[in-house]
Amino acid sequence: MELTTWFTDLLDGNLIFTPQTLGYYWDGLVTTSQLVFLSLLAGLVLAVPLAIGRSSRHRWISLPIYAYTYVFRGTPLLIQLYIIYYGVVFVDGIQESIFWPLLREAFFPALIAFTLNTAAYTTEIFRGAIKATARGEIEAARAYGMSNALMMRRIVLPSAFRRALPAYGNEVIFMLHASAIASVVTLMDLTGAARFVYARFYAPFEAFLFVAAIYLCLTFAILYFFRFLEKRLLAHLRPA
Amino acid sequence: MAATPMPLEARNIKKRFGDTEVLKGLSLQAHKGDVITLIGASGSGKSTFLRCMNLLEQPDEGDLLMHGEEILFKQTRRGREPADWKQVVRMRAKLSMVFQSFNLWAHMTLLENIIEAPIHVLGKPRKEAIEQANALLERVGLTARANAYPAQMSGGQQQRGAIARALAMDPEVMLFDEPTSALDPELVGDVLKVMHGLADEGRTMVVVTHEMGFARDVSSQVIYLHQGLVEEAGPPQDVLTNPSSPRLKQFLAPKY
Repeated sequence: MELTTWFTDLLDGNLIFTPQTLGYYWDGLVTTSQLVFLSLLAGLVLAVPLAIGRSSRHRWISLPIYAYTYVFRGTPLLIQLYIIYYGVVFVDGIQESIFWPLLREAFFPALIAFTLNTAAYTTEIFRGAIKATARGEIEAARAYGMSNALMMRRIVLPSAFRRALPAYGNEVIFMLHASAIASVVTLMDLTGAARFVYARFYAPFEAFLFVAAIYLCLTFAILYFFRFLEKRLLAHLRPA
Repeated sequence: MAATPMPLEARNIKKRFGDTEVLKGLSLQAHKGDVITLIGASGSGKSTFLRCMNLLEQPDEGDLLMHGEEILFKQTRRGREPADWKQVVRMRAKLSMVFQSFNLWAHMTLLENIIEAPIHVLGKPRKEAIEQANALLERVGLTARANAYPAQMSGGQQQRGAIARALAMDPEVMLFDEPTSALDPELVGDVLKVMHGLADEGRTMVVVTHEMGFARDVSSQVIYLHQGLVEEAGPPQDVLTNPSSPRLKQFLAPKY
Protein backbone atom coordinates (compact mmCIF):
# COMPACT_ATOMS: atom_id res chain seq x y z
CA MET A 1 0.00 0.00 0.00
CA GLU A 2 2.71 2.41 0.96
CA LEU A 3 4.48 1.80 -2.30
CA THR A 4 1.38 2.62 -4.34
CA THR A 5 0.78 5.87 -2.45
CA TRP A 6 4.42 6.78 -2.95
CA PHE A 7 4.02 6.04 -6.61
CA THR A 8 0.83 8.06 -7.09
CA ASP A 9 2.39 10.95 -5.14
CA LEU A 10 5.30 10.85 -7.48
CA LEU A 11 3.01 10.86 -10.48
CA ASP A 12 0.94 13.71 -9.06
CA GLY A 13 3.90 15.98 -8.89
CA ASN A 14 4.86 15.44 -12.48
CA LEU A 15 3.28 16.29 -15.76
CA ILE A 16 5.03 13.88 -18.06
CA PHE A 17 4.78 10.45 -16.43
CA THR A 18 1.05 10.33 -16.04
CA PRO A 19 -0.84 7.06 -15.87
CA GLN A 20 -1.68 7.68 -19.51
CA THR A 21 1.91 8.00 -20.77
CA LEU A 22 2.98 5.12 -18.56
CA GLY A 23 0.26 3.16 -20.31
CA TYR A 24 1.91 3.99 -23.64
CA TYR A 25 5.23 2.80 -22.35
CA TRP A 26 3.62 -0.36 -21.05
CA ASP A 27 1.95 -1.06 -24.39
CA GLY A 28 5.30 -0.35 -26.06
CA LEU A 29 7.01 -2.79 -23.74
CA VAL A 30 4.46 -5.47 -24.62
CA THR A 31 4.87 -4.82 -28.36
CA THR A 32 8.66 -4.82 -28.17
CA SER A 33 8.68 -8.02 -26.12
CA GLN A 34 6.31 -9.77 -28.51
CA LEU A 35 8.21 -8.63 -31.57
CA VAL A 36 11.62 -9.60 -30.21
CA PHE A 37 10.50 -12.86 -28.67
CA LEU A 38 8.56 -14.07 -31.70
CA SER A 39 11.24 -13.09 -34.19
CA LEU A 40 13.96 -14.74 -32.09
CA LEU A 41 11.90 -17.88 -31.73
CA ALA A 42 11.09 -18.11 -35.44
CA GLY A 43 14.69 -17.17 -36.29
CA LEU A 44 16.01 -19.93 -34.06
CA VAL A 45 13.69 -22.53 -35.58
CA LEU A 46 14.80 -21.48 -39.07
CA ALA A 47 18.47 -21.26 -38.16
CA VAL A 48 18.92 -24.86 -36.99
CA PRO A 49 18.18 -26.56 -40.33
CA LEU A 50 19.84 -23.70 -42.20
CA ALA A 51 23.02 -24.08 -40.17
CA ILE A 52 23.06 -27.83 -40.83
CA GLY A 53 22.60 -27.15 -44.54
CA ARG A 54 25.22 -24.43 -44.45
CA SER A 55 27.71 -26.96 -43.02
CA SER A 56 26.91 -29.47 -45.75
CA ARG A 57 29.70 -30.47 -48.08
CA HIS A 58 27.26 -30.34 -50.99
CA ARG A 59 27.73 -26.91 -52.48
CA TRP A 60 24.27 -26.77 -53.99
CA ILE A 61 22.89 -26.90 -50.44
CA SER A 62 25.39 -24.69 -48.66
CA LEU A 63 25.81 -21.99 -51.32
CA PRO A 64 22.19 -20.75 -51.50
CA ILE A 65 22.13 -20.58 -47.70
CA TYR A 66 25.38 -18.66 -47.73
CA ALA A 67 23.88 -16.26 -50.27
CA TYR A 68 20.93 -15.70 -47.96
CA THR A 69 23.01 -15.07 -44.85
CA TYR A 70 25.39 -12.87 -46.83
CA VAL A 71 22.58 -10.64 -48.10
CA PHE A 72 20.87 -10.31 -44.73
CA ARG A 73 24.09 -9.73 -42.84
CA GLY A 74 25.43 -7.46 -45.54
CA THR A 75 22.58 -4.94 -45.62
CA PRO A 76 21.18 -2.71 -42.86
CA LEU A 77 18.22 -4.08 -40.97
CA LEU A 78 16.45 -0.76 -41.53
CA ILE A 79 16.66 -1.21 -45.30
CA GLN A 80 15.36 -4.77 -45.00
CA LEU A 81 12.48 -3.44 -42.94
CA TYR A 82 11.73 -0.72 -45.52
CA ILE A 83 11.80 -3.19 -48.38
CA ILE A 84 9.41 -5.55 -46.67
CA TYR A 85 7.11 -2.91 -45.14
CA TYR A 86 6.86 -0.62 -48.15
CA GLY A 87 7.39 -3.27 -50.79
CA VAL A 88 4.78 -5.76 -49.70
CA VAL A 89 1.96 -3.57 -51.08
CA PHE A 90 3.35 -3.93 -54.57
CA VAL A 91 3.30 -7.71 -54.60
CA ASP A 92 0.67 -8.79 -57.11
CA GLY A 93 -2.52 -10.00 -55.52
CA ILE A 94 -1.28 -9.53 -51.97
CA GLN A 95 -4.12 -7.13 -51.14
CA GLU A 96 -6.68 -9.76 -52.09
CA SER A 97 -4.94 -12.53 -50.17
CA ILE A 98 -5.99 -13.70 -46.75
CA PHE A 99 -2.71 -12.40 -45.31
CA TRP A 100 -3.42 -8.79 -46.17
CA PRO A 101 -5.15 -7.86 -42.88
CA LEU A 102 -1.99 -9.03 -41.11
CA LEU A 103 0.51 -7.55 -43.55
CA ARG A 104 -1.24 -4.19 -43.53
CA GLU A 105 -0.25 -3.73 -39.91
CA ALA A 106 3.31 -2.65 -39.22
CA PHE A 107 3.84 -5.54 -36.79
CA PHE A 108 3.97 -8.38 -39.27
CA PRO A 109 6.30 -6.86 -41.84
CA ALA A 110 8.56 -5.94 -38.93
CA LEU A 111 8.30 -9.48 -37.57
CA ILE A 112 9.22 -10.93 -40.97
CA ALA A 113 12.19 -8.58 -41.41
CA PHE A 114 13.51 -9.24 -37.91
CA THR A 115 13.01 -12.98 -38.22
CA LEU A 116 14.89 -13.19 -41.51
CA ASN A 117 17.64 -10.99 -40.13
CA THR A 118 18.18 -12.84 -36.87
CA ALA A 119 17.88 -16.20 -38.65
CA ALA A 120 20.78 -15.17 -40.91
CA TYR A 121 23.03 -14.20 -37.99
CA THR A 122 22.02 -17.21 -35.91
CA THR A 123 22.69 -19.55 -38.85
CA GLU A 124 26.25 -18.27 -39.06
CA ILE A 125 26.73 -18.51 -35.29
CA PHE A 126 25.55 -22.13 -35.32
CA ARG A 127 27.53 -22.98 -38.42
CA GLY A 128 30.72 -21.78 -36.74
CA ALA A 129 29.88 -23.86 -33.68
CA ILE A 130 29.09 -26.94 -35.77
CA LYS A 131 32.34 -26.59 -37.68
CA ALA A 132 34.26 -26.32 -34.43
CA THR A 133 33.08 -29.74 -33.24
CA ALA A 134 36.15 -31.73 -32.25
CA ARG A 135 37.11 -34.16 -35.04
CA GLY A 136 37.80 -36.86 -32.51
CA GLU A 137 34.27 -36.69 -31.13
CA ILE A 138 32.87 -37.09 -34.63
CA GLU A 139 35.17 -40.05 -35.28
CA ALA A 140 34.09 -41.62 -32.02
CA ALA A 141 30.44 -41.20 -33.01
CA ARG A 142 31.11 -42.86 -36.37
CA ALA A 143 33.20 -45.59 -34.83
CA TYR A 144 30.36 -46.40 -32.42
CA GLY A 145 27.96 -47.02 -35.27
CA MET A 146 26.03 -43.77 -35.34
CA SER A 147 24.37 -42.76 -38.58
CA ASN A 148 24.89 -39.19 -39.77
CA ALA A 149 21.44 -38.14 -38.54
CA LEU A 150 21.92 -39.69 -35.11
CA MET A 151 25.37 -38.17 -34.79
CA MET A 152 23.99 -34.75 -35.70
CA ARG A 153 21.17 -35.05 -33.17
CA ARG A 154 23.08 -36.56 -30.27
CA ILE A 155 26.66 -35.32 -30.60
CA VAL A 156 27.17 -32.43 -33.01
CA LEU A 157 24.15 -30.23 -32.26
CA PRO A 158 24.11 -30.56 -28.46
CA SER A 159 27.78 -29.71 -28.31
CA ALA A 160 27.48 -26.93 -30.92
CA PHE A 161 24.51 -25.27 -29.20
CA ARG A 162 26.45 -25.10 -25.99
CA ARG A 163 29.44 -23.57 -27.72
CA ALA A 164 27.16 -21.09 -29.48
CA LEU A 165 25.42 -19.95 -26.32
CA PRO A 166 27.57 -16.89 -25.45
CA ALA A 167 27.49 -15.62 -29.03
CA TYR A 168 23.77 -16.27 -29.28
CA GLY A 169 23.20 -14.31 -26.06
CA ASN A 170 24.79 -11.34 -27.77
CA GLU A 171 22.52 -11.83 -30.76
CA VAL A 172 19.46 -11.72 -28.49
CA ILE A 173 20.58 -8.43 -26.96
CA PHE A 174 21.38 -7.10 -30.40
CA MET A 175 17.87 -7.97 -31.59
CA LEU A 176 16.31 -6.25 -28.59
CA HIS A 177 18.16 -3.06 -29.40
CA ALA A 178 17.65 -3.38 -33.14
CA SER A 179 13.92 -3.64 -32.54
CA ALA A 180 13.96 0.09 -31.76
CA ILE A 181 13.93 0.79 -35.48
CA ALA A 182 10.49 -0.81 -35.76
CA SER A 183 9.18 2.54 -34.56
CA VAL A 184 10.10 4.17 -37.89
CA VAL A 185 7.43 2.13 -39.63
CA THR A 186 4.77 3.48 -37.24
CA LEU A 187 4.96 0.58 -34.80
CA MET A 188 4.28 1.74 -31.22
CA ASP A 189 7.00 -0.26 -29.57
CA LEU A 190 9.01 1.05 -26.60
CA THR A 191 10.90 3.51 -28.75
CA GLY A 192 7.66 4.47 -30.52
CA ALA A 193 6.12 5.26 -27.14
CA ALA A 194 9.16 7.33 -26.17
CA ARG A 195 8.97 9.27 -29.42
CA PHE A 196 5.32 9.92 -28.81
CA VAL A 197 5.94 11.24 -25.28
CA TYR A 198 8.84 13.34 -26.54
CA ALA A 199 6.70 14.92 -29.27
CA ARG A 200 3.84 15.52 -26.89
CA PHE A 201 5.83 17.23 -24.13
CA TYR A 202 8.99 18.22 -25.97
CA ALA A 203 10.95 16.61 -23.15
CA PRO A 204 13.72 14.58 -24.75
CA PHE A 205 15.60 13.64 -21.60
CA GLU A 206 12.60 12.40 -19.67
CA ALA A 207 11.14 10.54 -22.64
CA PHE A 208 14.30 8.85 -23.86
CA LEU A 209 16.20 8.34 -20.61
CA PHE A 210 13.18 6.58 -19.22
CA VAL A 211 12.97 4.26 -22.20
CA ALA A 212 16.73 3.72 -22.08
CA ALA A 213 16.34 2.56 -18.48
CA ILE A 214 13.69 0.07 -19.56
CA TYR A 215 16.00 -1.31 -22.27
CA LEU A 216 18.75 -1.59 -19.68
CA CYS A 217 16.50 -3.60 -17.41
CA LEU A 218 15.52 -5.92 -20.26
CA THR A 219 19.16 -6.36 -21.22
CA PHE A 220 20.00 -7.18 -17.65
CA ALA A 221 17.28 -9.82 -17.57
CA ILE A 222 18.58 -11.38 -20.80
CA LEU A 223 22.17 -11.36 -19.56
CA TYR A 224 21.10 -12.98 -16.34
CA PHE A 225 19.09 -15.62 -18.18
CA PHE A 226 22.03 -16.52 -20.40
CA ARG A 227 24.41 -16.55 -17.46
CA PHE A 228 22.07 -19.06 -15.83
CA LEU A 229 21.94 -21.17 -19.02
CA GLU A 230 25.70 -21.11 -19.43
CA LYS A 231 26.20 -22.14 -15.84
CA ARG A 232 23.99 -25.15 -16.39
CA LEU A 233 24.87 -26.13 -19.96
CA LEU A 234 28.55 -25.26 -20.02
CA ALA A 235 29.39 -27.13 -16.82
CA HIS A 236 31.49 -29.52 -18.89
CA LEU A 237 33.93 -26.74 -19.76
CA ARG A 238 34.60 -25.74 -16.18
CA PRO A 239 37.47 -27.45 -14.46
CA ALA A 240 36.42 -29.40 -11.40
CA MET B 1 39.28 -74.40 -42.17
CA ALA B 2 38.22 -72.96 -38.86
CA ALA B 3 34.89 -74.18 -37.57
CA THR B 4 33.84 -70.77 -36.28
CA PRO B 5 34.11 -67.93 -38.75
CA MET B 6 36.60 -65.27 -37.82
CA PRO B 7 35.21 -62.18 -36.09
CA LEU B 8 37.39 -59.97 -38.24
CA GLU B 9 39.47 -60.49 -41.32
CA ALA B 10 41.22 -57.98 -43.55
CA ARG B 11 42.58 -59.09 -46.94
CA ASN B 12 45.17 -57.26 -48.94
CA ILE B 13 44.22 -53.75 -47.77
CA LYS B 14 45.72 -50.93 -49.81
CA LYS B 15 45.40 -47.25 -49.12
CA ARG B 16 46.97 -44.17 -50.60
CA PHE B 17 46.82 -40.52 -49.53
CA GLY B 18 47.47 -38.50 -52.65
CA ASP B 19 50.69 -39.79 -54.16
CA THR B 20 51.89 -41.70 -51.11
CA GLU B 21 50.91 -45.30 -50.82
CA VAL B 22 50.48 -45.80 -47.09
CA LEU B 23 49.27 -49.38 -47.06
CA LYS B 24 50.64 -51.66 -49.72
CA GLY B 25 48.55 -54.74 -49.22
CA LEU B 26 48.05 -55.75 -45.59
CA SER B 27 46.11 -58.72 -44.29
CA LEU B 28 45.08 -59.74 -40.83
CA GLN B 29 43.05 -62.55 -39.34
CA ALA B 30 41.60 -62.08 -35.89
CA HIS B 31 40.24 -65.33 -34.49
CA LYS B 32 38.12 -65.31 -31.40
CA GLY B 33 40.27 -64.50 -28.38
CA ASP B 34 43.23 -63.30 -30.40
CA VAL B 35 45.18 -60.30 -29.24
CA ILE B 36 47.00 -58.92 -32.25
CA THR B 37 49.44 -56.10 -31.74
CA LEU B 38 50.59 -53.89 -34.57
CA ILE B 39 53.96 -52.29 -34.03
CA GLY B 40 56.19 -50.17 -36.19
CA ALA B 41 57.75 -46.76 -36.53
CA SER B 42 55.51 -43.76 -37.03
CA GLY B 43 54.50 -43.56 -40.67
CA SER B 44 54.57 -47.32 -41.04
CA GLY B 45 50.79 -47.34 -41.55
CA LYS B 46 49.72 -49.17 -38.40
CA SER B 47 47.12 -46.61 -37.31
CA THR B 48 45.80 -46.22 -40.84
CA PHE B 49 45.47 -49.99 -41.11
CA LEU B 50 43.50 -50.08 -37.87
CA ARG B 51 41.28 -47.21 -39.02
CA CYS B 52 40.58 -49.06 -42.27
CA MET B 53 39.20 -51.94 -40.23
CA ASN B 54 36.19 -49.93 -39.06
CA LEU B 55 36.17 -47.78 -42.19
CA LEU B 56 37.14 -44.50 -40.56
CA GLU B 57 39.44 -44.57 -43.57
CA GLN B 58 38.22 -46.11 -46.81
CA PRO B 59 40.64 -48.70 -48.17
CA ASP B 60 41.32 -48.23 -51.88
CA GLU B 61 41.63 -51.96 -52.39
CA GLY B 62 41.13 -55.10 -50.39
CA ASP B 63 38.33 -56.79 -48.51
CA LEU B 64 37.00 -56.70 -45.00
CA LEU B 65 35.03 -59.57 -43.54
CA MET B 66 33.18 -59.92 -40.27
CA HIS B 67 32.28 -63.50 -39.44
CA GLY B 68 32.78 -64.24 -43.08
CA GLU B 69 30.35 -61.52 -44.18
CA GLU B 70 32.03 -59.33 -46.73
CA ILE B 71 31.71 -55.56 -46.53
CA LEU B 72 30.43 -54.34 -49.88
CA PHE B 73 32.13 -51.53 -51.73
CA LYS B 74 31.29 -49.54 -54.80
CA GLN B 75 33.34 -47.25 -56.98
CA THR B 76 32.21 -43.61 -57.04
CA ARG B 77 33.67 -40.42 -58.45
CA ARG B 78 35.24 -39.68 -55.07
CA GLY B 79 36.83 -43.11 -54.93
CA ARG B 80 35.91 -46.39 -53.36
CA GLU B 81 33.10 -46.20 -50.84
CA PRO B 82 31.02 -48.68 -48.89
CA ALA B 83 28.02 -49.68 -50.97
CA ASP B 84 25.72 -50.09 -48.01
CA TRP B 85 26.19 -47.69 -45.13
CA LYS B 86 23.68 -49.62 -43.06
CA GLN B 87 26.01 -52.59 -43.24
CA VAL B 88 28.88 -50.37 -42.12
CA VAL B 89 26.90 -49.01 -39.19
CA ARG B 90 25.96 -52.54 -38.18
CA MET B 91 29.58 -53.63 -38.42
CA ARG B 92 30.95 -50.68 -36.47
CA ALA B 93 28.54 -51.40 -33.65
CA LYS B 94 30.35 -54.72 -33.18
CA LEU B 95 33.83 -53.24 -33.35
CA SER B 96 34.45 -50.69 -30.70
CA MET B 97 37.41 -48.43 -30.86
CA VAL B 98 39.60 -46.83 -28.24
CA PHE B 99 41.45 -43.76 -29.50
CA GLN B 100 44.82 -42.28 -28.76
CA SER B 101 43.23 -39.00 -27.62
CA PHE B 102 40.28 -40.70 -25.88
CA ASN B 103 37.64 -38.79 -27.87
CA LEU B 104 35.05 -38.88 -25.15
CA TRP B 105 32.09 -36.63 -25.94
CA ALA B 106 32.92 -33.48 -24.03
CA HIS B 107 29.39 -32.29 -23.31
CA MET B 108 28.39 -35.53 -21.61
CA THR B 109 29.33 -36.90 -18.24
CA LEU B 110 31.33 -40.11 -18.15
CA LEU B 111 28.20 -42.14 -17.42
CA GLU B 112 26.34 -40.48 -20.30
CA ASN B 113 29.29 -41.22 -22.57
CA ILE B 114 29.08 -44.89 -21.69
CA ILE B 115 25.32 -45.33 -22.12
CA GLU B 116 25.03 -43.17 -25.25
CA ALA B 117 25.74 -45.69 -28.00
CA PRO B 118 24.19 -48.72 -26.24
CA ILE B 119 20.90 -46.80 -25.94
CA HIS B 120 20.84 -44.99 -29.27
CA VAL B 121 22.72 -47.41 -31.51
CA LEU B 122 21.96 -50.81 -29.97
CA GLY B 123 18.54 -49.82 -28.65
CA LYS B 124 19.18 -51.02 -25.12
CA PRO B 125 16.71 -49.93 -22.43
CA ARG B 126 18.10 -47.00 -20.46
CA LYS B 127 17.88 -48.71 -17.11
CA GLU B 128 19.78 -51.75 -18.33
CA ALA B 129 22.43 -49.55 -19.94
CA ILE B 130 22.97 -47.65 -16.70
CA GLU B 131 23.30 -50.85 -14.69
CA GLN B 132 25.85 -52.18 -17.15
CA ALA B 133 27.69 -48.83 -17.16
CA ASN B 134 27.95 -48.85 -13.38
CA ALA B 135 29.43 -52.34 -13.44
CA LEU B 136 31.95 -51.26 -16.07
CA LEU B 137 32.85 -48.13 -14.14
CA GLU B 138 33.59 -50.26 -11.15
CA ARG B 139 35.72 -52.54 -13.25
CA VAL B 140 37.88 -49.68 -14.55
CA GLY B 141 37.96 -48.08 -11.10
CA LEU B 142 35.98 -44.95 -11.94
CA THR B 143 32.78 -45.34 -9.95
CA ALA B 144 33.46 -42.07 -8.16
CA ARG B 145 33.80 -40.18 -11.44
CA ALA B 146 30.55 -41.29 -13.06
CA ASN B 147 29.15 -37.77 -13.12
CA ALA B 148 32.36 -35.98 -14.03
CA TYR B 149 32.83 -34.40 -17.44
CA PRO B 150 35.82 -35.53 -19.50
CA ALA B 151 37.57 -32.16 -19.05
CA GLN B 152 37.49 -32.72 -15.31
CA MET B 153 39.33 -36.04 -15.48
CA SER B 154 42.98 -36.90 -15.93
CA GLY B 155 44.13 -38.49 -19.17
CA GLY B 156 44.38 -41.92 -17.58
CA GLN B 157 40.87 -41.65 -16.19
CA GLN B 158 39.55 -40.51 -19.54
CA GLN B 159 41.18 -43.43 -21.29
CA ARG B 160 39.85 -45.95 -18.79
CA GLY B 161 36.45 -44.30 -19.21
CA ALA B 162 36.81 -44.66 -22.96
CA ILE B 163 37.56 -48.36 -22.51
CA ALA B 164 34.41 -48.68 -20.41
CA ARG B 165 32.51 -46.94 -23.22
CA ALA B 166 33.95 -49.43 -25.69
CA LEU B 167 33.05 -52.41 -23.49
CA ALA B 168 29.47 -51.18 -23.10
CA MET B 169 28.90 -52.05 -26.75
CA ASP B 170 29.55 -55.74 -25.99
CA PRO B 171 31.96 -55.65 -28.90
CA GLU B 172 33.15 -58.71 -30.73
CA VAL B 173 36.46 -57.09 -31.53
CA MET B 174 38.07 -54.14 -29.78
CA LEU B 175 40.36 -51.86 -31.72
CA PHE B 176 42.94 -49.86 -29.76
CA ASP B 177 44.72 -47.01 -31.53
CA GLU B 178 47.82 -46.22 -29.45
CA PRO B 179 45.77 -46.05 -26.27
CA THR B 180 48.63 -45.02 -24.01
CA SER B 181 50.61 -42.72 -26.29
CA ALA B 182 48.95 -39.52 -25.07
CA LEU B 183 49.33 -40.37 -21.40
CA ASP B 184 51.83 -39.30 -18.80
CA PRO B 185 54.14 -42.22 -17.96
CA GLU B 186 52.72 -42.69 -14.47
CA LEU B 187 49.19 -43.05 -15.89
CA VAL B 188 50.08 -45.66 -18.50
CA GLY B 189 50.13 -48.52 -16.00
CA ASP B 190 46.46 -48.21 -14.99
CA VAL B 191 45.32 -48.33 -18.59
CA LEU B 192 47.56 -51.26 -19.46
CA LYS B 193 46.30 -53.12 -16.41
CA VAL B 194 42.72 -52.77 -17.65
CA MET B 195 43.74 -53.95 -21.13
CA HIS B 196 45.65 -56.84 -19.62
CA GLY B 197 42.47 -57.91 -17.85
CA LEU B 198 40.53 -57.77 -21.10
CA ALA B 199 43.07 -59.97 -22.85
CA ASP B 200 42.95 -62.45 -19.97
CA GLU B 201 39.17 -62.83 -20.25
CA GLY B 202 39.50 -63.76 -23.90
CA ARG B 203 38.50 -60.58 -25.67
CA THR B 204 39.43 -60.33 -29.31
CA MET B 205 41.63 -57.27 -29.64
CA VAL B 206 43.67 -55.50 -32.28
CA VAL B 207 46.08 -53.09 -30.64
CA VAL B 208 48.36 -50.51 -32.17
CA THR B 209 50.94 -49.79 -29.52
CA HIS B 210 54.44 -48.73 -28.64
CA GLU B 211 54.33 -50.63 -25.34
CA MET B 212 56.62 -53.56 -26.14
CA GLY B 213 56.19 -55.05 -22.68
CA PHE B 214 52.45 -55.19 -23.19
CA ALA B 215 52.89 -56.66 -26.66
CA ARG B 216 55.17 -59.35 -25.31
CA ASP B 217 52.94 -60.27 -22.37
CA VAL B 218 49.49 -60.45 -23.92
CA SER B 219 49.69 -60.78 -27.70
CA SER B 220 48.90 -63.95 -29.52
CA GLN B 221 50.40 -62.39 -32.60
CA VAL B 222 52.68 -59.42 -33.22
CA ILE B 223 52.79 -57.76 -36.61
CA TYR B 224 55.68 -55.45 -37.38
CA LEU B 225 54.87 -53.01 -40.16
CA HIS B 226 57.38 -51.11 -42.21
CA GLN B 227 56.35 -48.62 -44.88
CA GLY B 228 52.94 -50.12 -45.41
CA LEU B 229 54.04 -53.74 -45.56
CA VAL B 230 54.30 -56.57 -43.05
CA GLU B 231 57.99 -56.92 -42.34
CA GLU B 232 57.65 -59.63 -39.75
CA ALA B 233 54.76 -61.36 -38.01
CA GLY B 234 54.29 -64.17 -35.56
CA PRO B 235 53.99 -65.03 -31.90
CA PRO B 236 55.66 -62.48 -29.61
CA GLN B 237 58.33 -64.88 -28.42
CA ASP B 238 59.58 -65.15 -32.02
CA VAL B 239 59.03 -61.66 -33.28
CA LEU B 240 60.03 -59.71 -30.20
CA THR B 241 62.63 -62.01 -28.71
CA ASN B 242 64.32 -63.34 -31.83
CA PRO B 243 63.61 -60.88 -34.61
CA SER B 244 65.01 -61.96 -37.94
CA SER B 245 64.66 -58.74 -39.87
CA PRO B 246 67.47 -56.25 -39.30
CA ARG B 247 64.97 -53.38 -39.33
CA LEU B 248 62.94 -54.92 -36.53
CA LYS B 249 66.14 -55.60 -34.60
CA GLN B 250 66.98 -51.95 -34.88
CA PHE B 251 63.42 -50.94 -33.99
CA LEU B 252 63.51 -53.01 -30.83
CA ALA B 253 67.00 -52.01 -29.79
CA PRO B 254 67.22 -49.69 -26.81
CA LYS B 255 67.22 -46.13 -28.10
CA TYR B 256 69.41 -44.64 -25.40
